[in-house]
Amino acid sequence: MEFKTSDGRKEIEAHRDGLTFIHGATLVHMGNEIWLEMGGRKHKATAAKVGDTWWVHVLGHTLQFETIEAGASGADDDGGLTAPMPGKILDVLVSVGQNVKAGDALMVMEAMKMEHKIVAGHDGIVEAVNYNTGDQVIQGAELLSISDS
Amino acid sequence: MLKRTLVANRGEIACRILRACKEAGIEGVAIHAANDAGSLFTEIADIAIPLQGEGLAETYLNQEQILEIAIQNGCDSIHPGFGFLSERADFAQLVMDSGLIWIGPSPEAITQMGDKMTARITMKAAGVPVIPGEEIDGGLEEVLAIAPSVGYPLLLKATAGGGGKGMRAVYEEENLESEAKAAMREALNAFGDDRVYVERLLTGSRHIEIQVLADKYGRTIHLGERECSVQRRHQKVFEEAPSVAIDAELRQAMGDAACDAARAVNYEGAGTVEFLVTPTGEFFFLEMNTRIQVEHPVTEMVTGVDLVREQLRIAGGEAMSCGDLNIRGHAIEVRLYAEDPANNFLPAIGQLKRFIPPTGPGVRLDTGVREGDAVTPDYDPMLAKLIVWAPSRKEALQRMGRALDEFVVLGCTTNVRFLRELCDHPDVVDGWTTTDMIDRLWPDGWNPDLPAAIADAGLLIASACESTNHGRTAASQSGSSQAPSPFSQLSRRYP
Repeated sequence: MEFKTSDGRKEIEAHRDGLTFIHGATLVHMGNEIWLEMGGRKHKATAAKVGDTWWVHVLGHTLQFETIEAGASGADDDGGLTAPMPGKILDVLVSVGQNVKAGDALMVMEAMKMEHKIVAGHDGIVEAVNYNTGDQVIQGAELLSISDS
Repeated sequence: MLKRTLVANRGEIACRILRACKEAGIEGVAIHAANDAGSLFTEIADIAIPLQGEGLAETYLNQEQILEIAIQNGCDSIHPGFGFLSERADFAQLVMDSGLIWIGPSPEAITQMGDKMTARITMKAAGVPVIPGEEIDGGLEEVLAIAPSVGYPLLLKATAGGGGKGMRAVYEEENLESEAKAAMREALNAFGDDRVYVERLLTGSRHIEIQVLADKYGRTIHLGERECSVQRRHQKVFEEAPSVAIDAELRQAMGDAACDAARAVNYEGAGTVEFLVTPTGEFFFLEMNTRIQVEHPVTEMVTGVDLVREQLRIAGGEAMSCGDLNIRGHAIEVRLYAEDPANNFLPAIGQLKRFIPPTGPGVRLDTGVREGDAVTPDYDPMLAKLIVWAPSRKEALQRMGRALDEFVVLGCTTNVRFLRELCDHPDVVDGWTTTDMIDRLWPDGWNPDLPAAIADAGLLIASACESTNHGRTAASQSGSSQAPSPFSQLSRRYP
């Protein structure tokens, strides 16, 4: 399984034995509760999914892991085409069918009273524009899609 | 005695005051903007009245509307909390002119302390030590003329200011003119008043404040100090009482000065006198906050005085109930903010999908949110104040560390881990807290110290959760698979 973290993409291989997940020297027992076993000690963890992101609290740390669907084309690997936080679309700068280059500004959104540009991660053709100026979007909303070219 | 109090505030402090009202047998009336309908403080109130309009100016800062609600709902008093209208002398006057009780100091006292230059002059006259510097009434020329006599580094501050706006540190003479122009421009934009004053910048000093209480019967007392040096972007994040830098003698001297300051403006109610204390133990008046403060709980924990209850008592015309100052143990407060400490402490928003505060001995949580609430950009990003008390400073830090480790907030980025690391930092453990410490310790910004094993464990937990669809399945399981409680059948078996 693959996740996006603040350090970039991370892959994890774990095997499952009933309700227990095993990864190296670390075990996680699932059920209604999550228990982590590390170095012979047990720690309770809490997790919740918000949008595509798993938030995990364990041992006093809060971590975020964005899920990457298996077999995804990688078109949005840069994360630029989804809303980074909930907010409002201020401007749509491209239309469907338009050629764009990596780094081109595609949309401007406002979040936390600050403007944020949505920028193309690679060259391609705009395949879909999912929101219009003035629309409210939730965090992780797919704003546009660009073909691989 | 007050009978019905309108709380002209929201969030955490509204909850704090409304609870105090309930305990004192006073009916609490909340007011709320449309986007605060259903917020925790509206539930705690006996009556919650919606405010018409949008934005702060039309709602929580709308003096006429708030007063009208108070009158229509039979309130006899208004508590402003902190922020919003709490230091608006014109509002205090309006409330009193309408025949209601203003829970706070007189409009005159607010005015005298609100204008920094007037406050300086008043304090100087009352014999309270002030920072070496000069009040400036004129424009740029006067600033340039007076700067050499104050000395460098110096600080330019807006006379009408606060919150770091119109404030500029100048280290060298060559930058003075451009910084002075910038400070005056900022001051004009923020406060409509471009007057600035010049004072010596005291580096490496501590920000220490003294809590005072004064009633209508001529009694003015101080309740010891709070150490509030750990700040980011001129906002406090970590506060404690007592301060390691203050011994009994200095506490007495500062306490006396604070009481002198309060008496000089005929102060009434709860207030705070802020001082800068230099490494050599000199102290200088900074300003007086004419309201209850965010960090008041640390004083409550070590003195055993309920400050908000005393405010209600004093405003109702009773004498304050507290006896002699008796500081016991140590208390620490941290402010949990919805912000990203790894990204220059920028505010964050989201949803409190999980919000599980710590519990246990000596732990107090003052908050205005609960699990499920949305964190929006509409208001201040402070989610909660976590306060601990313990017999000693060392134990208080250990307790705070434990409590912060237990604190679960999922769905919105917070500074909880930053606060946790602060508790273990040698400078904090040793008590070397100064106002510039966050910039000094993390000049390139803060990043969590995350052990690889924990990062790895988190990844495993996320993948396990994803593959079992954790959360959704758990809810349905707990609904169906658990055996019924034997107690639920007791009454049937033994009717």
